[in-house]
Amino acid sequence: MSYPPPLRVPSGPRRRALLVSAAGAALLAGCTGGGPESEESAAGSQSVTRKARALAARESAGMVGRYDAVIATHPQVAERLGPLRAEVVRHTEAFGGTSAKGSTGTASPSASGAVSPTPATEKDALAELAAAERALSDRRMAALLDVPGELARLLASVAAAGAAHAYLLTEDAG
Amino acid sequence: MSGGTDEKELKALQAALAAEHAAVYGYGVVGGRIREGRRAEARSAYDAHRARRDALTRRVRDLGGTPVAAAPAYALPFPVPDSGAALRFAGELEERVAAVYSDLVRATGGEQRRSAAEALREAAVRAVRWSGESVAFPGLAERAATASPSSAPTA
Repeated sequence: MSYPPPLRVPSGPRRRALLVSAAGAALLAGCTGGGPESEESAAGSQSVTRKARALAARESAGMVGRYDAVIATHPQVAERLGPLRAEVVRHTEAFGGTSAKGSTGTASPSASGAVSPTPATEKDALAELAAAERALSDRRMAALLDVPGELARLLASVAAAGAAHAYLLTEDAG
Repeated sequence: MSGGTDEKELKALQAALAAEHAAVYGYGVVGGRIREGRRAEARSAYDAHRARRDALTRRVRDLGGTPVAAAPAYALPFPVPDSGAALRFAGELEERVAAVYSDLVRATGGEQRRSAAEALREAAVRAVRWSGESVAFPGLAERAATASPSSAPTA
């Protein structure tokens, strides 16, 4: 029985046999098997992809704006929200959008609906942010059904990250 | 519409199935080491992976494939002697499962894609429950390889 290397996190010899055997081999095969070819070559498909990416970028930028609004009102949560906000900035960029890093108030909130004033209590503000992350995650779960595979994969990952954010925002309060 | 041929889908399904076999085995280890306060959570994760495993097995058969079997045993990535290690191991199991589901999302369409995306999302949430830390792109190894500005102090 061979011991293929782990998929990622290449490191010390101890990790070489990460859940090996058939599973490891199949995992490797699965990761290299698929390709972005063909499906995104059609012009119509490209247009769909472009629009979906643009929307996703706007929505992520809007989410960055929500984080900024909460941080502006409740500076004591800045440290806790910082890493999550940074991930949303990376989402925006992955979809081809831009986020004004470090500055606030530049993101367009329109994509994710009207942004109401930030709740006065920290707890409510975090709960609302979590709800917004959850709602956006759900929208992406639907959107990924209508786009080519490569973008669907990215949308699924970002939707998963959003759900994880929602969990951290609500479960870790205090 | 389907994102790829049946053959591509079958390959991705088998990869996901193999990962779920490994996760089921892994959670058996986790369950034996994790502290009591988290045991129910580990149990429910174990059950969730078994359910996914069974669904994938059925799907592979539907496509005319022979479902990959579980290995009799799996080498652990690191020793798991206590609850702390069990937590880390559980987080790692979820990350690995997330990776195969992101590929399955790409390789499938319609209901199968939706189901794979849901599995990815569930894995990502369980991963942060175990580790307490999120990653920007769950399941996307190629993006994890780049520096993470959110957490790396050296970035």
